[in-house]
Amino acid sequence: MMEVMVAGMLDLVMDLGRPGYRSQGVPEGGAADRPALIGANRLVGNADSAAGIEVLFRGPKLRFPEGGRIAITGADMETSLDGVSIPCGQTVTVAPGGTLDVGLAKRGLRAYLAVAGGIDVPEVLGSRSTFLPVGFGGWQGRALGAGDVLPVGAPMMAGAGKIREKSQQEALRLLPGPQLAGFSDLSLQALTGSPYVVSNDSNRLGMRLSGQALGYEGGELRSQAVLPGAIQVPPGGEPIVLGWDGPVTGGYPVIAGIISADLHRFAQMRPGELLTFRFVGLEEAREAAQEFGRLLDEAIVWQD
Amino acid sequence: MKDVSRETGQARWMTDRGLMISGGDQTLGLYRKLVEADLPGIVELLPADGSLLVVLRSAGEIPGGLQEILNAHLEAENVNIGQQHQISVRFDGEDLNEVAEQAALSKEGLIELVCSLDLHIEFLGFQPGFAYLEGLPRELHMPRLAVPRKHVPKGSLALGGGYCGIYPAAGPGGWHLIGTTDTEMFNPESRPPALLQPGDTVRFVAT
Repeated sequence: MMEVMVAGMLDLVMDLGRPGYRSQGVPEGGAADRPALIGANRLVGNADSAAGIEVLFRGPKLRFPEGGRIAITGADMETSLDGVSIPCGQTVTVAPGGTLDVGLAKRGLRAYLAVAGGIDVPEVLGSRSTFLPVGFGGWQGRALGAGDVLPVGAPMMAGAGKIREKSQQEALRLLPGPQLAGFSDLSLQALTGSPYVVSNDSNRLGMRLSGQALGYEGGELRSQAVLPGAIQVPPGGEPIVLGWDGPVTGGYPVIAGIISADLHRFAQMRPGELLTFRFVGLEEAREAAQEFGRLLDEAIVWQD
Repeated sequence: MKDVSRETGQARWMTDRGLMISGGDQTLGLYRKLVEADLPGIVELLPADGSLLVVLRSAGEIPGGLQEILNAHLEAENVNIGQQHQISVRFDGEDLNEVAEQAALSKEGLIELVCSLDLHIEFLGFQPGFAYLEGLPRELHMPRLAVPRKHVPKGSLALGGGYCGIYPAAGPGGWHLIGTTDTEMFNPESRPPALLQPGDTVRFVAT
């Protein structure tokens, strides 16, 4: 088990989400930085789909009465175990009664804590992920609070490893969206030719960007089904990137869609951060998706 | 822009994980046909207003068999085989009088009109279990509120755009509130979790 002594800013139980319920109005949800959660799970010998804790900017203080093995990935957190500073991105053994203090993010925004055995809350609609807008899934449908005691499953394997450092990344890659034809050339040039800033008003439902306004002249639009990573343009012209818990339908034109191999990078972007976009073709999107899987498999250096 | 394709066809990409298909009036029929076909390359399908989203198993990979079904569907007919629901409503919404006034009806006249309609569901969205009901007469097409309410009570029956809907959970909302129901619209433990499904029809009963 795992006891919450002090809650972080927003600690949510997350796994890889609940696909299959969009026609019921339920988004897929799940960990915003999927490769980070998968990496953390692999470091402690869990299945990729095991549930961990998604931590936002400032993490919780946790106690492990029976001890266990943990890993923290994604954002680089100032973390200590029983008062001693420990690095992120590797397997760590916690002694019985040990206290893990996940502090502030030094780099990035969201970290993932995996515990060997996984957070063993019941599945709701096929997933253990918290869905905050309606309050179901995860730990009682809410963020963790002081005094919560979370069940942890039985650990499987006992390997240990470390995440390889990743190289510097460039512009986020886009495919043309369904309403691209309704935007002027000037708008398309603005989207790819000038940087955008992640606004304060960003969360798991959507990330608002400020920068050059985009103008849609395609006329009235009927509600359409949308996906995380779709870039909607409301009448004000400042784009919104739909997030993991965002609504499954929308009425704003979609100028472009961020390719799935790049969407996880949004999970780590802080308000105020600058970003740029570039369009790619379908072939490059496909190759990126394949490379993404390969990089994930090569991301961990195992130790004996 | 040379590097960006401006083509608009029957199928377009939402992101590399989803193809959006224009289905027009045949959207629901196409949705049913694809659900039945259960193609291995498709994770799930989501119908909306005249279009259908096909969520793909592998990014950028068009599922085998999809094009054949789209072609064959052009000749098919749309049949309505959904469930019929009767939902009890208290007409106590905050905007009831205002809506009646805008529709040039008395309050009683408005309630009678709403309860005489057979509304049908094309798709769900916005919130889990939130069904967009179609079939409102022109006078009940209400523009969305200029400033959405921060708190709409659970079970509120509301009008917005050309649609009518019931809020399954409390939350923000921009539609005009005309009533309330105690019927549960969404239960994550039920299969399917939403009470109203695409293709179903609804009639309201005043209590």
